[in-house]
Amino acid sequence: MTPSTEEQDNGISVTAASDIEVDHEQLDISIAEFVERNPDYYQNVFHKVHAATSPLPNTFNWAAALLGPIWGGFRGAWGFFWGFLILEMIVWVQLGRGLWGNPGAKFEERAEGQLEKAAEFKQRAEEALAAGEDATRFEKLFDNMSTAAERSLTEAQILNDGKFMVFLTGVALFVLVKLTQGFYANKIYERQYSKWRIDPEGTESGVKLRNLVLSLVLVTLIAPLTIYKFTVESPFELLNQFPEKEISGYFLEEENETLYTESAKWLEDRIDAAAVAGQGLFDGLTAGVRSVLEAMTLALIVTPWPVVMVVVCVVAWRAAGPRVSIFTGAALAYVALLGYWEVSMETVALVGAAVFLCVIFGIPLGIWFGKSQRAYKIAEPVLDLMQTLPAFVYLIPIIAFFGTGNPPGILATIIFGMPPVIRLTALGMRGVPRTIIEAAEAFGASKRQLLRDVEIPLALPSIMTGVNQTILMCLSMVVIISLIGGGGLGQEILIALQYAAKGPGLLGGIAILLCAMVIDRIVQGAFRREI
Amino acid sequence: MDEPVVKLDNVWKIFGDRSQEAMSAIKERGITKPEVLSEFGCVVGVQKATFDVSRGEIFCIMGLSGSGKSTLVRHINRLIEPTEGKIEVLGRDIGSLSSNELREVRALQMGMVFQHMALLPHRSVRDNVAYPLEIRKIPKSRRWAISDHALGLVDLVGYEDRLPRELSGGMQQRVGIARALASDPAILLMDEPFSALDPLIRMQLQDQFKALVAQLQKTTLFITHDLDEAIRIGHRIAIMKDGEIVQIGTAEEIVMNPADEYVREFVQGISKLKLVKAHSIMEPVESYKGSLEGAPEADHKADLDQIIDLAVNTEQPVVITDSGKPVGLITKPRLLRGIQGGKE
Repeated sequence: MTPSTEEQDNGISVTAASDIEVDHEQLDISIAEFVERNPDYYQNVFHKVHAATSPLPNTFNWAAALLGPIWGGFRGAWGFFWGFLILEMIVWVQLGRGLWGNPGAKFEERAEGQLEKAAEFKQRAEEALAAGEDATRFEKLFDNMSTAAERSLTEAQILNDGKFMVFLTGVALFVLVKLTQGFYANKIYERQYSKWRIDPEGTESGVKLRNLVLSLVLVTLIAPLTIYKFTVESPFELLNQFPEKEISGYFLEEENETLYTESAKWLEDRIDAAAVAGQGLFDGLTAGVRSVLEAMTLALIVTPWPVVMVVVCVVAWRAAGPRVSIFTGAALAYVALLGYWEVSMETVALVGAAVFLCVIFGIPLGIWFGKSQRAYKIAEPVLDLMQTLPAFVYLIPIIAFFGTGNPPGILATIIFGMPPVIRLTALGMRGVPRTIIEAAEAFGASKRQLLRDVEIPLALPSIMTGVNQTILMCLSMVVIISLIGGGGLGQEILIALQYAAKGPGLLGGIAILLCAMVIDRIVQGAFRREI
Repeated sequence: MDEPVVKLDNVWKIFGDRSQEAMSAIKERGITKPEVLSEFGCVVGVQKATFDVSRGEIFCIMGLSGSGKSTLVRHINRLIEPTEGKIEVLGRDIGSLSSNELREVRALQMGMVFQHMALLPHRSVRDNVAYPLEIRKIPKSRRWAISDHALGLVDLVGYEDRLPRELSGGMQQRVGIARALASDPAILLMDEPFSALDPLIRMQLQDQFKALVAQLQKTTLFITHDLDEAIRIGHRIAIMKDGEIVQIGTAEEIVMNPADEYVREFVQGISKLKLVKAHSIMEPVESYKGSLEGAPEADHKADLDQIIDLAVNTEQPVVITDSGKPVGLITKPRLLRGIQGGKE
């Protein structure tokens, strides 16, 4: 191939890719700036790392191999520091066990006790003989004890012999870890360098005394204690258990009170006080929820069952097609034939009331959060809490505030089920293209018109997904609320659980599953049609 | 011409939290754009924009992306509030309107077309066109009639009941134009309407649009980053750079007398044949020493293209006349220089 570099008229030189020389000069300056100490060495090894064609490391860093995590800390490579600190710790524990550990200690102790017992029996036997009684019983016991002690000693011996093997594996692991440190240090450090080029502010570079001191302190804090605890047979009690009782005593200066009991009592008082203070509000909420639930119950239970069945099947047909309708019919037949009709309808009424309330409060909230970034910032942790807090935790305050029964159960369900519809509504609102909103504004749309004609219709798919999620969340919650006196299928299952009644439990479970599937299919079918 | 339809007077827009401080610093100390950025963390979007647009005129605002042309045009319907300056539309000060009045002006007086169409995806073509009317609560029968008429203007009869996504890009933009025309506004704001379309469709739409506007007598502000488009469509062109209007003039003025190096570079590649008129390159009759017997004649408004047609068949210069009287002549060297754009 001829050299294909040619100067063109406009002064741009064109070079074939294969002829391009690697220019180290610029790179060297930048590497020197990054490493600060020992630039010559790192320029050299980074070039080697850059030139590597296989994924295996091609350089060895003696400093890193010898100093291990401290090298990493000194260079600001904290990933290296923590990773190898843990690995080295394992190695040192292994070595310590091999060198000064006492793996047979437990058996030796046992043997000692057994020997003592044996001596005791021997003495008893001698006493018996001296008294002219029959000593065979004690002699027999003495024999047994002695054999047991001997066995324990052999066991201890075996374990103590194995110490050397432990030590050997320790040495092997040590060599392995050191080699890994040496070989991979430069690769890891080069990666940090690449990161530093992109983000010089946010990536550690160079060598800092602060880092060195920090890593030394961390190592001296962590390593000796850990190695001590793992290798010594009976370390201080303090290392085994957090001394919470002592600390409590120090704070409270009372023998029987701990921080735990104190805080629990304080919280309990607060909750009781709040329940009393907010009685009117809580009763009002309960009444509101109850009226929604009653309307639902009226529609589902008081209406004659054939009517409900036919209506549900027809709705399924209209919304999701004949297949879902047939499935719905079969599910309803299962529920009715097993005598679950009324409780199932109660479950559906519970879910329906919860979902209805979630939607009528969740969608406006979602719209608000979608429009106001600040409101969303504040609401997000609350939503996270509502979703992640285990239901059992807030069932207790709900009992305190609202008592037991179906309406408090629905409130618990709402707490759990509302976040998805809020979140997805907000997401949908934020996803409306800015240009379309601008166009509507340019044609003189008011805020209300904008919301009605542009934002809600464009956010609708997302809102619908949120509603569907909410329905499923509410369905899963409706079993749990039986714990605070919620009715429906959940209660059947709770009873079955209490008596470990496998058959009824399974049948009730399947009924819930069928209810969930029917609702999900119908709603999804309706949404698909909508979109 | 009578009262200008759109009148901008020293309009400034500075983006950022401290725009007012930055504005007063500019007025008092005359600091420059980079200084505004470093001192106040504010970006100057538009600076001292002043121009008038008269009735029926197509006023093109040309500039590269980031030059502030979209920002400037959004001041006219106050989608963006100016930091400083006054905007008058049909004699009304836009800045002093209440939000209700502003909505009314937007709905009645201005139609806007966007680069990315910005049609409502869940509404039919007809309902999209009718949307500005729906905002004004015009009854459905009337809306539909007007909308069908507007769709007729842009040649989209038969697509009324389709959804926007079923249409091609060019057709969607025609829906956008129909929507802007539907409320029969006095002013059209076109924000790079044809930029996202491929060249052939773009040319077609440009011609169609030009004819339509000439027929409907709409005052138009037309944003583009394409000088060819500006020349083809605009009666006058404003060239923007870094938020500032560098030059305002007819296509010929800008091409023949670029205000600065920036504009010169822009107009370099533009063909002058149809733009430059005879009177702008002719020389006095007295400067020619030879005989003018039998020399071809052309009107002073003839463009270079026509002069070339006359000049190819003769050795003599072309005599330029104004209502029959010779006012000047164009020699071959003069003609060739004229084609190059007036280089001496």
